Amino acid sequence: MNAVLTLARRELAATFDSPIAYIAGAVFLVVTGLLFFFGHDGTADFFAAREATLRPLFEYAPWVMAVILPAVTMRLVAEEKKSGTLELLVTLPITDLQIVMGKLLGAIGFLAVTLAATLVFPIAVATIGHPDLGAVAGGYVGLLLIGVAFLSLGLLTSTWTHNQIIAFIVGLLLCVFFWTATDALLKVAFDRPPLALQLLSFKTQFDDFTKGVVDLRNVVYFLSVSAVAVIGSVYSLQSRHWK
Amino acid sequence: MSANTVIRVSNLVKQYDTKTALDGVSFDVHGGEILGLLGPNGAGKSTTMKILTTYLTATSGEVSVDGIDANSDPVKVRAMLGYLPESTPLYADMVVYDYLHYVGSMRNFAKADLHKRIAEVVRMVGLQEYVGFQIANLSKGYKQRVGLAQALLHNPKVLILDEPTSGLDPNQIVEIRNLIRELGSNHTIILSSHNLAEVRQICDRVVIIHRGKVVADGTLDELEGRVAATHRILLGVQAPAGKETGGQAAADLLSSLKALPSVLSAQLSHQSQAPVPHATYELEASSDIRGELFRWAEAKGHTLLELRRKDLDLEGIFQSLTQDAQA
Repeated sequence: MNAVLTLARRELAATFDSPIAYIAGAVFLVVTGLLFFFGHDGTADFFAAREATLRPLFEYAPWVMAVILPAVTMRLVAEEKKSGTLELLVTLPITDLQIVMGKLLGAIGFLAVTLAATLVFPIAVATIGHPDLGAVAGGYVGLLLIGVAFLSLGLLTSTWTHNQIIAFIVGLLLCVFFWTATDALLKVAFDRPPLALQLLSFKTQFDDFTKGVVDLRNVVYFLSVSAVAVIGSVYSLQSRHWK
Repeated sequence: MSANTVIRVSNLVKQYDTKTALDGVSFDVHGGEILGLLGPNGAGKSTTMKILTTYLTATSGEVSVDGIDANSDPVKVRAMLGYLPESTPLYADMVVYDYLHYVGSMRNFAKADLHKRIAEVVRMVGLQEYVGFQIANLSKGYKQRVGLAQALLHNPKVLILDEPTSGLDPNQIVEIRNLIRELGSNHTIILSSHNLAEVRQICDRVVIIHRGKVVADGTLDELEGRVAATHRILLGVQAPAGKETGGQAAADLLSSLKALPSVLSAQLSHQSQAPVPHATYELEASSDIRGELFRWAEAKGHTLLELRRKDLDLEGIFQSLTQDAQA
């Protein structure tokens, strides 16, 4: 456990040592802020709507996260592969699972800091109205879970290559796919998509959270996606043995 | 297997997609020994080391450290090893002290011990003035010391150093070699190199790997004894006054050399008019005929400029060892 925390601390420090963290964090706050107040086509107007809701935030934030988080995770393993430091890391007396968990935990630290910064939106809304605090809390739990799933997917793609750009692009595609493409594809393919397939979509799973409902099934879903990505990452690290 | 065997490598085979990197490598390393893994590039030295450090798994064969099988308990084996990979990969963005602290924490050091141990190791490798430097700003030689420091931190039973002096300038090479020699007094060390002089200086024993196979295992003196069936001798003569060594004269000399007993072959390797007119010949003889050559030159009236046995280089050793293997 000690090693996992040490690694997480080192990754978090390295993230904040590089400009990526600040660029990603700033982009996240500015873009979600703009979307929140003005909508994606500029027609929505938070102030004109006169409604104390954070729904727009929860609608747009996952989009922005799908772009930003793979940029944060792209270096996690790819950089170590390129510089050769991975060889020293995996020959420390720790397991590959510990390495993956430490790196993921470090990235979750970044996510937590960034999400904490977005708390200015609910605070702002609360000063001028009475938002449904249950829905806000549920939405944030949902965002955190989606974020962890995105980070896990990004980490997975980072183990596949020593090229950070490739890790980023493939990670981005995976995140966008899970967030929305499943949804869109299903609508194209079926008049009434089977429930089992609908449930694959992050969007479907996320909806309840924004209504203030934290359903264990949704939680388990997001954690399962993360777990699969973590196991995939461990497997990918171990593939050096049979290549 | 003697009681003192710390590392045991038996029948290691490593098959990459299409290439066989190791083809049945076996050797033992005893406690407190410094073993040199010698071989040309691509011979399989690094692959052997990567398997020893559990970075890679062998296709077949076994590796054990202190009796523990690397395949079944890699984490335990890693805890006993300190490893310096080829070209010393380090986190360039980190400060030396922070990096060592990070490695120590990953190795489960208690906080209080770690600080003390870092100070010790930093003194051992001579990094005192650089602990506050960012690794990216260090010279190659000091980066190498940081690499050694991280390998030494947990006072491991075994040190595995992959080409520890490659890319260093001559002064740094001497320093690092001395350091390794010192470390050898209380660690078991395997180092790889393609530099014969280095291995002669540092190692107690050498294992020579060629195309994935062990072609020799023993002390360097033993190996040279085996290899020295032919003697390579360098002879330089000055042309007698008034005569030039160029053209006909040099060819005459060559045939007269070839006619000498026990000369197997001879060739003109170099001739020049400056600083004095001279010609240099390279001979292969079945015995050490330097004495005969001296008398031959005296009798013929040639002034001897140079007469020496050519040191065996790695090429020579490989040539004759692999010829042995084929014969």
